[in-house]
Amino acid sequence: MFAGIRLLPVRVPSGSSLTVMFSDLSAQTEGSSLLCRPASEDQGPVFERMSLSYSLCSDQYRVGERSFSRQYAHIYAARLMQMRPLLSERAQQKWGSNVLIRKLCDLQTGEQCCIVGTLFKRMDLQPSILREISDEHNLLPQPARAKYISETDELILEDELQRIKLEGKIDRDKCVTGSVIAIYGAERNDGKFTVEDFCMADLPLQTPRPALSSDRFVLLASGLGLGSSHADSMLGLQLLIDMVTGQLGDQGEQSGAATISRVLLAGNLLSQSTQDKDAATKPKYLTKKTQAGSVEAIRLLDELLLQLVASLPVDVMPGQFDPTNYTLPQQPLHRCMFPLSSVYPTLQLSSNPYIANIDGVRFLGTSGQNVSDIQKYSSMDSHLEILEETLRLRHLAPTAPDTLGCYPFYQKDPFILEECPHVYFSGSAPTFDSKLIKGPDGQEVLLVTIPEFSSTQTACLVNLRTLECEPVSFSAFSADEDEESEMNISH
Amino acid sequence: MTTKHGLITDSFKVVKKARRGGKREKRPSPPPPQREAETETVREKELQKLRQFDLDWRFGPCTGISRMQRWERAKLHGLNPPEEIRWLLLQTHTDSEYSLSLWSEYPL
Repeated sequence: MFAGIRLLPVRVPSGSSLTVMFSDLSAQTEGSSLLCRPASEDQGPVFERMSLSYSLCSDQYRVGERSFSRQYAHIYAARLMQMRPLLSERAQQKWGSNVLIRKLCDLQTGEQCCIVGTLFKRMDLQPSILREISDEHNLLPQPARAKYISETDELILEDELQRIKLEGKIDRDKCVTGSVIAIYGAERNDGKFTVEDFCMADLPLQTPRPALSSDRFVLLASGLGLGSSHADSMLGLQLLIDMVTGQLGDQGEQSGAATISRVLLAGNLLSQSTQDKDAATKPKYLTKKTQAGSVEAIRLLDELLLQLVASLPVDVMPGQFDPTNYTLPQQPLHRCMFPLSSVYPTLQLSSNPYIANIDGVRFLGTSGQNVSDIQKYSSMDSHLEILEETLRLRHLAPTAPDTLGCYPFYQKDPFILEECPHVYFSGSAPTFDSKLIKGPDGQEVLLVTIPEFSSTQTACLVNLRTLECEPVSFSAFSADEDEESEMNISH
Repeated sequence: MTTKHGLITDSFKVVKKARRGGKREKRPSPPPPQREAETETVREKELQKLRQFDLDWRFGPCTGISRMQRWERAKLHGLNPPEEIRWLLLQTHTDSEYSLSLWSEYPL
């Protein structure tokens, strides 16, 4: 029923080397306002949507054999094996090619040298099941915390055989367990290592982005929160879908919508409240006839997806609360959950993390679990800052498997970035934020934190030609209405 | 009567001879154990090499994965694991004493 409306790409004016935002494209043009009389009885113009070349490259995040008999030591070993050559190279770039790179077992007291190793932060407040059991006799219930850092934390560097406590010029609270770094300094008499400087693996090499002739947009949204008890985001969500499918606004807006060539839903499509644990704790005779909350929510999601996939390609990533496996990498949602929309070839169910080349622009991102976990275990608060930090560390999820669920890989650590993305995003963020950063070898990366749609009513649009990003808000009552690039569609 | 006695002694002797014969037949068998012992020492040496490989910390932890998986991981990360180990493992890939690591019998 929605296939009837076709959209053509908007013709960009010749002076379009300037930044072109989506809001400029869809701005109302003279005489085409909805307030004027319809031009004629016939159909009106057809805006055709441009299809982009697309290849999904998330194969490294598909788990084939599922063996859980292994321990996590393998991940840390493989991570260090993979990162050691990269970091040795960075260390030589930074501290001169004749810098002494030592293993901890060869370390001499007082000698200036560089060590490559995995950070471990010993944290008193970190929840530990073993401590809970051992303290059972005089149990003090731990309050739920937003952050687990404290003054007594200790930073330790480990290599294959040994570990050493770190002091000096390294920000203890900012670092997280599992990051592989190179430190420079000397061991003191008391057995601690005084850090004078440290370096991270920094951005990997990037394939150059092709020059695109016209503005094309990818819409990023996250945290739809379907199935929650308060459904106030439903109007915004329907407006979003209507805008993307070209059923909203006048011809100017419709031609603007034609430039949106892909939609990426980054996780948490279902609300946390669909995961009620009542069924597990209540007796069976009470819950026999109740249906899981996620069933109705998935049905709703299927209907919403149907509207979108009839019009343009959609990528669906699972998130923390979605019905797939909990541990990273999360496998794609199963097709059988979407009987209506899965018949369209435009529905692409993908894994979390997600890598794809969209018109030569490499997208990499997660649904946000990795970022919010680092937020809990470090002093960093801004999702954008954490996102940049993980890119500099060249690792998507350093805290996995310590505090973040993760499949026990043994051969290699798939979360190490091998190629630099052009767009690096994370979902379920509290607010929209974006930033263009530059790497040491001329890399250009757009960082985007996609806000949770259910609470902010905001999605964002990435321009593939200029790598710019702007939020699209669908709430008339949003808190930050003064933001200028916001496109308020209110009733 | 005498014939009966004779029969008894005959039968007695036969039994004794049979026993001696049985012992003589068993004596030739020791050589195979010697050959087995030789193969046993070769096997022991090979297993010793594999155990040494297991205990080489450069190639990462060895529990939970097969020796071949560990060898291939080391190769993937450019750590130059000994080719001899791979050859040994390819020869004997059905024998679990060869293919699994030193600690494989211990529960995790």
